[in-house]
Amino acid sequence: MELELKQLRDRCIADLNAVTELKTLDNVRIKYLGKKGELTIALKGMGKLSNEERPIIGKLANEIREEIESNIMAQKQFLERQEIEAQIKEESIDVSLPGQKHQAGNLHPLTTIINDLKEIFLGMGFSIAEGPEIEWAKYNFDYLNVPQDHSARDLQDTFYYQDDIVLRTQTSPVQVRVMEEQQPPLRIISPGRVYRCDEIDATHSPVFHQMEGLVIDKGITMSDLKGTLDLFAKKLFGEQTKTKFRPHQFYFTEPSAEMDVTCFKCGGVGCKVCSNTGWIEILGCGMVHPNVLRFCGIDPDEYSGFAFGMGLDRITMIKYGINDLRLLFENDLRFLAQFK
Amino acid sequence: MLVSLNWLKEFVDIKMAPFDFGEALTMSGTKVETLTIVSENVVNIFTGKITKIEAHPNADKLTICTVDLGMDERVIVTAAKNVFEGAIVPVAIDGAVIANGTKIGTNDFRGVLSYGMFCSIEELGMNTDLFSKEIMEGILILPENTPLGMDARELLWLDDVIIDVELTANRSDCQSIVGIAREAAATLDLPMAEVTGYDATSESNAEIADYLAVRIEDPACPRYVAKMLKVKKIEDSPLWLQIKLLNSGVRPINNIVDVTNYVMLELGQPLHAFDYHSLQSQEIVVRTVVDKKIVTLDDKEREIDESMLMITNGKAPVAIAGVMGGENSEITEKTSLVVLESANFNKGSVRLTAKQLGLRTEASSRFEKGVDPELASVAALRATQLLLDISACDVIEGMIDVYPQVATLKKVALDVNWFNAFVGISLTVEEVSSMLTRLFFTVKRISDTVLEVEVPSYRMDIELKEDLAEEVVRIFGYDRIPGTIMGGETMVGGKTPVQKFEDSLKNILVGQGYYETLTSSFTSEKRLRGLNTQLEDNLIPLINPLGEENSIMRHTLIGHQLEVISLNYNRKNPTGCFFELSNTYQKNSNSGELPIEAKKLAISTYGSGDYFELKGVVELLLKHSGIDDPDFVAGGSDFLHPGRKAEIFVKGIKLGEIGEIHPIVVKHYELPKRCYVCQLSFDELFESASLDNKFTDLPKFPASNRDLAILVKAEIPAAAIAAIIRKNSGEILESFELFDVYTGAQIPDGYKSLAYALNFRHHERTLTDNDINPVIDQILGELKQAFDAQLRE
Repeated sequence: MELELKQLRDRCIADLNAVTELKTLDNVRIKYLGKKGELTIALKGMGKLSNEERPIIGKLANEIREEIESNIMAQKQFLERQEIEAQIKEESIDVSLPGQKHQAGNLHPLTTIINDLKEIFLGMGFSIAEGPEIEWAKYNFDYLNVPQDHSARDLQDTFYYQDDIVLRTQTSPVQVRVMEEQQPPLRIISPGRVYRCDEIDATHSPVFHQMEGLVIDKGITMSDLKGTLDLFAKKLFGEQTKTKFRPHQFYFTEPSAEMDVTCFKCGGVGCKVCSNTGWIEILGCGMVHPNVLRFCGIDPDEYSGFAFGMGLDRITMIKYGINDLRLLFENDLRFLAQFK
Repeated sequence: MLVSLNWLKEFVDIKMAPFDFGEALTMSGTKVETLTIVSENVVNIFTGKITKIEAHPNADKLTICTVDLGMDERVIVTAAKNVFEGAIVPVAIDGAVIANGTKIGTNDFRGVLSYGMFCSIEELGMNTDLFSKEIMEGILILPENTPLGMDARELLWLDDVIIDVELTANRSDCQSIVGIAREAAATLDLPMAEVTGYDATSESNAEIADYLAVRIEDPACPRYVAKMLKVKKIEDSPLWLQIKLLNSGVRPINNIVDVTNYVMLELGQPLHAFDYHSLQSQEIVVRTVVDKKIVTLDDKEREIDESMLMITNGKAPVAIAGVMGGENSEITEKTSLVVLESANFNKGSVRLTAKQLGLRTEASSRFEKGVDPELASVAALRATQLLLDISACDVIEGMIDVYPQVATLKKVALDVNWFNAFVGISLTVEEVSSMLTRLFFTVKRISDTVLEVEVPSYRMDIELKEDLAEEVVRIFGYDRIPGTIMGGETMVGGKTPVQKFEDSLKNILVGQGYYETLTSSFTSEKRLRGLNTQLEDNLIPLINPLGEENSIMRHTLIGHQLEVISLNYNRKNPTGCFFELSNTYQKNSNSGELPIEAKKLAISTYGSGDYFELKGVVELLLKHSGIDDPDFVAGGSDFLHPGRKAEIFVKGIKLGEIGEIHPIVVKHYELPKRCYVCQLSFDELFESASLDNKFTDLPKFPASNRDLAILVKAEIPAAAIAAIIRKNSGEILESFELFDVYTGAQIPDGYKSLAYALNFRHHERTLTDNDINPVIDQILGELKQAFDAQLRE
C-alpha cells in the first residue's frame, strides 16, 4: 500500500510537470484528488488495512495529499506567471507613435487679456459693471464734463444713431451709471466695446475695446491711485515692472495722468517694442472730477475717488507682440490657434 | 507743436542736456514726443562770398569760383546755375561733412582742383518742405549782410534741437514759445525773460483815427486790436527771423507776413496784416455777412454763409475771422500802409467755421483751443516793435482797441490741508505757495492753511481747487507721490452669477474644440440680404457710418460667423469650429429709451461633423445649464436648410435655433457646402438655467435595464416617441437613450426602427418585473395608438 501511494505521488507530480496550460491544470487535480480521483480511491481501500498499518498509511496518505496540493499550487503560480509574461510580450507597443488627436479650442486673445485684468482687479475687491454700447450722448459726454463744443462730439469722430444717442466712444459712461445707481463705496471695472469713426488700419479700428475702472470712497487719495495701478501693472506685466505717471488731461478727472510701464520686452533699456524709450504707455487715469461726482449725486466734499481707462486691443497686441490690429478681428484659425 | 530749443533759450537759461530737459518737461505735464537736431552731421561749412566766376576750360557745365571765406580764399568748382559774383553762400571746405554724412575733400574736376563745394539747403540738412522747388534745387544764397567765414551750424541754427510737444486740449496757453518757456521756467525753477513790445506810452496823438475805425457787431469777437504801419520796404526778412520760422515749421514769405507769423509762434496770438488801400474803406466791421463767396489768400474760392464770422470793410468780407485773410486785401509788393489785426475770436465760432470750410490753419487751430483776450494788445505791440527793429515799417501813432468786456482775474482758494489729504502727501503751506508762484500764480495766504490764488488771464483751464492741486503736484513731481494701498471699507467684489455663467459656457465650448471669434458690431442691408431673410424693421442704422457695409448695428451674429467661416475656408483651413458671445442691437419700441442690446451666443462649424454633432454640443451646454429636456422642433429662419433646421425651446420659451446653412446662403457667402450654425439668446438661456448644485445620495438599489426596438413610420420624429416614453414611465424611469436608428433589410419601406435603452430604478427598493412590465405595456400601448408603432421582435 505504501509503495502504491508513493507511485501514485510520483505519477501525479510527473503529470503536473507535463501541464503547460492553466486550463488543463485542474484536470490533474481532478484525476488524483477529485471525488473519483486516484488518491481518493486509494484511501477508500484503507479499510482493509490492519489497525497497526492504518495510522501509518493514513499519515502517509495525508502527507502525499498535501505534497500534491502544494505542487499543484506551485505549478499554478508558475503557469500564471508564464501566461502574464506571454501576454506582456505580445502586447508591447511602440510608445513613440503619436497620440490620438484631440482638439481643444481657445478663447480669443482679447478675452484672455480681459480675463487676466478681471482676475487682478477682482482680487482687489472690484466688481464688474456693464453698460450699454449705444448710449445717450449726455452719458458719453455731458456728465463726463466734456465741453459742449468739443470736437469729440463731431460726426467725424463719433457715430450717431440719433442726435442724442451715440455709440459710446469710451467705457467711461459706465462710471456715471454706476455712480448714479449705487452708493459709495464703489470699486468697479468695466471692460467693453467702444466706437470711434476711424478707418481700420494696423493700429486703428472703428470698433475697439476699453476697460474702465472706478474707485469711490471716503479718503481716497492720489497716492492710492498710484499704489493700485502700480500693483496692477506688476501683476499684469511681472514683478519687476516699474511705472511712471505723467501729468495729462482728461475732462472727467483732475488731476489726471497717463501711466507708462517699463517695457516688458527689454526691461526698460530700449527696443523696437517701446520705440527705444524703455517705456510703454498703458492707461489714462486721474482723480474723479468734482463736477462728475456732483452730476452723479455724490458730494465731492465727502467722497473722492479715482478712475482709469485703458485700451484693451493695444494691451493685447503689446502682450502678444501682434503687429496688426486687423488680425484681432479677422479670425483666421491660424491666428486664433496660437493663443493657449 | 514744434518748439525750437534755441528760441526757447532766449527766454529761459536752459543748461541741461536736451534729452534731460525733454524728460523734465514731460514729467511736469508738457509731453515731449521727439527731440531732433536740425542737422546732426554737418561740420566745417562756412559762409563765403563769391568774388569771381570764370568759365571752366574743359567743361561747359562747370564754372570756377573764387570764394572769400573771410580769413582765406579758395577755389570751388561748381555746376550750380544760381550762383553769381557777390553772392554769399555756404561753403563746405575740405574735411567738411554734409547732411547725408558725405565727407567733402579736394577734387579734381577735369583738370581744375576744387577745394570744397557750395551747399544747397538739403545738403545743409534744413527742412526742404518749406522752400520752393527753385530754392531747393539751387545753392542757398544768403543775405548780403551775412558775415563771412561764419560757421553755418551757428548761423543757420543747424545745431538747434526741435522739440515736438504734444499739448493737452486744456493748455491753449502753451501754444507758443513763451507758453512753453513759462512751463520750462516753472519746471526748472528758473527766471524767465520778458518779451519786449513797442512802448506806446510815448505816443501822443491817435493818428490812426484818421485812417480807420473798428466796430464789433458780433459777440463771437470779444476783442479787436488794430495797429497801423507805414511800409518802408517789402522784402525778405532778416536771416535770424527766417530761421526761427523755419525751425518752427513755418515758411518765410516777406518781412510783414513773417512778423505776424513770428509773433503768433512766439506769443500764441494769431495776427493778420491787411493792405490798407485794398480795404477801400475807413472802417473794419466784424460781423456775419450774406455774401456767398470769398477768395482766400491761398487763391481758393470759399463758400461762406451767415453762420461764419467775417472781417468786413463795412460792405464786403475781407477775411474769414480767425481762419484766413481774403485775397482782396492781401499784402503785396505795392502795399504802403498795413493794418495789423490782433483780435480775439470765440473758439466755438472759429472751430465750426474752419470745420465747415474744411480749412484748418495755424491761426484757426490756435483760436479753436482758445486764446487769451489779454494777449491781443501785447501781440500788436510786439509785432510793431519787430517791424521797427527790422526796418520794415514806420509806426502810425495810436492803437485801436475794441474790448467791450474786460475780463477780471479769477481767484481760487486752496486749503493746503485739503490738498495734502487729497493727494496723500504732506507739503507745507510755504512749499505749496512757492510752487504756485513758480507757475506765475499770485498767491496770498488768507488763513493758517488757506491760500488765495489769483489766476493769470491766460490760464483759462484753472477753475477749481482740484485744478490747483494738479498744478502743485505736477511741479512737485507725480513720481514723488508714494503709492499706497486703498483704505476704507473692505469690499467683497467678485463676479455676478450671470458673469460666471458666461465664463462657464465659454469654457465648455473651448473644451469641445471651439475657437472664440471677435467680429465687428456693424453690418449692412446688403450683408443682411445675403442671409436669404426679409430685412426686419427693428434695425439700428447709423447717421454717419463708415461706408455702406458698416451702416447698421447687427441684430444677429450669424452673418459674421458665416464671414469667419468663409474667410477660413477660402484660406484653405480645412475645418473650423467657432463661437462668439456678443451683443446684438435692435430698436426699442418704447420711445425715449435706448435701443435694446441683447447678448447672443453663436456657434458654427464646417469641414467635419454634422447637424447632430453641433446639436450634441448645444445639448451639452443646455445640460450644463441644468436644462434636461429641451425641445428641438423642426423649423427656423430662412438662412437655414429647410429640411435641417430646428428651433430650440425650453418649457415653451424659445432659446434659439440650429441647423445647416441654406444652399442659397452657402453660395452667397462662398461657404463650404455644409456648415452648421446655432444661435442662442443668452438672456433667455440664463433665465431658463438652473445653476444650483445639490448633492443627491448615490443609489442603493440596482437598476433594471430594458431595451425596446420600436418600428414606426419614418416621418414620425424621434422626439415624439421620446415624449411618450417619458410621459408613461413616471418616477421609476431614471434615464433612457436612443442608441440605434435602423432602416434597411428586415424593415418595411417607409419605416424605421428606433432602439431605446431604458433604465429603471427605485431609490427605496429593488424593482421587479411587476413594477416594470406595466410601464412598458403602457408605453407600447400609447405608441401603438398614437403612431401605429410596433415593438420589433
